[in-house]
Amino acid sequence: MSAEMANEIKLISGRSHPDLSDKIAKRLGIEVARTVSLNYSNQETSFTVGESVRDEDVFIVQSTATGDVNEGLMELLIMISACRTASARRITAVIPNFPYARQDKKDKSRAPISARLVANMLQTAGANHIVTVDLHASQIQGFFSVPVDNLYAEPSFLRYIRENYNAEDSVIVSPDAGGAKRATSIADHLNTAFALIHKERPRPNVVGRMVLVGNVQDKVAILVDDIADTCGTLVKAAAVLKENGAKTVIALVTHGVLSGNAIETLNASVLSALVVTNTVPLGDKVERCPKLRVIDISPTIAEAIRRTHNGESVSYLFTHAPV
Amino acid sequence: MVRNIVVLGGNSHPALVESVCNILALPACNRILTKFSSGESRCEIQDSVRGKDVYIIQTGFGGNGSRLNDHFMDLCIMISACTTGSARRVTAVLPLFPYSRQPDLPYKKSGAPLFKAGSESGKKDYTFESIPATPAPGVPPSAGLVSATDISSRLAKEALPNGNGSMSPVKQTNGHTNGHTNGEAYFGANGQSVASPVSGVIGSYTTHDYENVSHLGAFQAKPGYKQWVAQAGTLVANLLTCAGADHVITMDLHDPQVQGFFDVPVDNLYGRPLLKRYIQTNVPNYKDAVIISPDAGGAKRATAIADSMGMEFALIHKERRPTKITDRQNASMMLVGNVTDRVCILIDDLLDTGNTITRAAKLLKKEGATKIYALLTHGVFSGDAINRVKASAIDKLVVTNSVPQGEHKALLGSRLDVLDISPIFTEAIRRVHHGESISVLFNYD
Repeated sequence: MSAEMANEIKLISGRSHPDLSDKIAKRLGIEVARTVSLNYSNQETSFTVGESVRDEDVFIVQSTATGDVNEGLMELLIMISACRTASARRITAVIPNFPYARQDKKDKSRAPISARLVANMLQTAGANHIVTVDLHASQIQGFFSVPVDNLYAEPSFLRYIRENYNAEDSVIVSPDAGGAKRATSIADHLNTAFALIHKERPRPNVVGRMVLVGNVQDKVAILVDDIADTCGTLVKAAAVLKENGAKTVIALVTHGVLSGNAIETLNASVLSALVVTNTVPLGDKVERCPKLRVIDISPTIAEAIRRTHNGESVSYLFTHAPV
Repeated sequence: MVRNIVVLGGNSHPALVESVCNILALPACNRILTKFSSGESRCEIQDSVRGKDVYIIQTGFGGNGSRLNDHFMDLCIMISACTTGSARRVTAVLPLFPYSRQPDLPYKKSGAPLFKAGSESGKKDYTFESIPATPAPGVPPSAGLVSATDISSRLAKEALPNGNGSMSPVKQTNGHTNGHTNGEAYFGANGQSVASPVSGVIGSYTTHDYENVSHLGAFQAKPGYKQWVAQAGTLVANLLTCAGADHVITMDLHDPQVQGFFDVPVDNLYGRPLLKRYIQTNVPNYKDAVIISPDAGGAKRATAIADSMGMEFALIHKERRPTKITDRQNASMMLVGNVTDRVCILIDDLLDTGNTITRAAKLLKKEGATKIYALLTHGVFSGDAINRVKASAIDKLVVTNSVPQGEHKALLGSRLDVLDISPIFTEAIRRVHHGESISVLFNYD
């Protein structure tokens, strides 16, 4: 009896995205473990464990809320460390939007490679496995010496396009050269045309001049990217596409960080829709932005958790989205 | 002027950084340390650190526009940036070590946690003996120090019943407790009951806890499982080492054992010499005063001072044995020693919510102390500590500037004296850099 009881999935949720954790738990048919995190009045984070995790397969779901990244990250580290102290058999950190993913290279002197720091911190805290979605650069997996499962939102996007748009009538557009691979992959699967916008970026969070390579005349232009932060790039790209004769412009983005004035920028833009997944907690942004549509990514994550726990292959999820 | 040394400051304590740089006679390292709009820290170090001996000063204190965890992540990122920037050695200077003190939940014999319910945020009448908002699940954190204006406007409205009325707040608190003993009752009502005392008083940082009201309210350990609070001390030590810190300098660690969590050298400086000098110069007839430790844990710290100065010593002991409910407040603290008609000097390492020290002061007054000094190394003043201290029997509070004290000084005025620790840290940095012994800093005087 006890042998069968042991080593079940324990799903632990951080404070950043309880909605996603609940959806994953529902999908898996389990309950979120009884834990609670709070901040003391001196702002230190505290994590209380209310049930045994000894010898269990622990999955800690923690996204990082926009503007509260460090808070979420420290909470995650403390949760991981607590579970390790409590003799969990394996600890998997489920981080749908990997924090600091964009600070992944030393692009100038003495610039920190914060993504590597986060990777090292997660391992130091005691994570045995990482599950994430659409890493900004898949090379970040190389910063880890533990397995990293980088899930893709692509299958969910493909289904969304097939269900809502006419594939023959559309062009997949990458808003920058870096995302070309992601966009061509979607274009190949849908068998549609592809275009690319070339941009010059003088400083972070500032967008320079843009040039369209390809034809979007009288087509539905579908912009594909991984992170929508201030949305400056997307909105400028949408304007360029409109100028080049696109019928409508929509954008499919995995992580809707939507920081700063993103919502206002979007509302004022020529984009007719921005489709994001719920990897990042969106709060009231859906109400504030009528153009925002949300795809639920929890089935993919839940299935990855189930498969990881049972020792099955996860690669099926790279091409298929569970319904 | 010291060569090959770089002092890099975080955002948590710019005044200390400036002071250290002034004494060392070198400019602070140019850096950009802000946040991207997404909330991620942005750090760029603009001066070369190649082959240099880098000292990064960041204290464990949430303030100056960022939260504690932001400051800590900033520190790790700066360390990592210097390491990848080929610094010869990176030393993290943390005047106040974050997460060094994580309170345990007190437990009943049955295993259920002994919640101290009731937050001060909603209460109008403020007394120093009201039950503190001990952080625990199901208990909302106390009101934060939002800004000077908020506090002063609140204080202006608050009448402070004192002296004879001192027994009544106990009952009042009990009533408070009854109302909210059940976490569910407190949080269950869609956050409505929570929102009312919170709004306006509590600033940005506590909102965090109220976002998942249902999550908090439903919290109850599984039957048969004794819930516990994660201790983050080891983790913090490991994270600093993993970021690339080669050396750590800190002051008056709450638990000296934290030193053992590190695989790198840790220099734990003492604020004791500063406190002693203060006693010698500022307390009239200090030889006749009594040194008091407000709890048994700090006895060693206090006796060290009492012994070296040839002063008398007394101890306040927390009685944990259950007594009659009505007497609990008074019976929970016992004074060992005699303070009648004496000047008392309370010694402790850290003032957080200020509960221990203010309760100790009250007891001392009751036992006949004439004047009460409280000397602490770290004055965090979190939550409603400022109010509590203002309403307390402490005549003079002395802290060091291991965390920024500007705001606290403005609120407490002449009741608060701030000792400058920058000479100690500068000397430690200088000696570590030159490879000299710093043990002289541990017992000079």
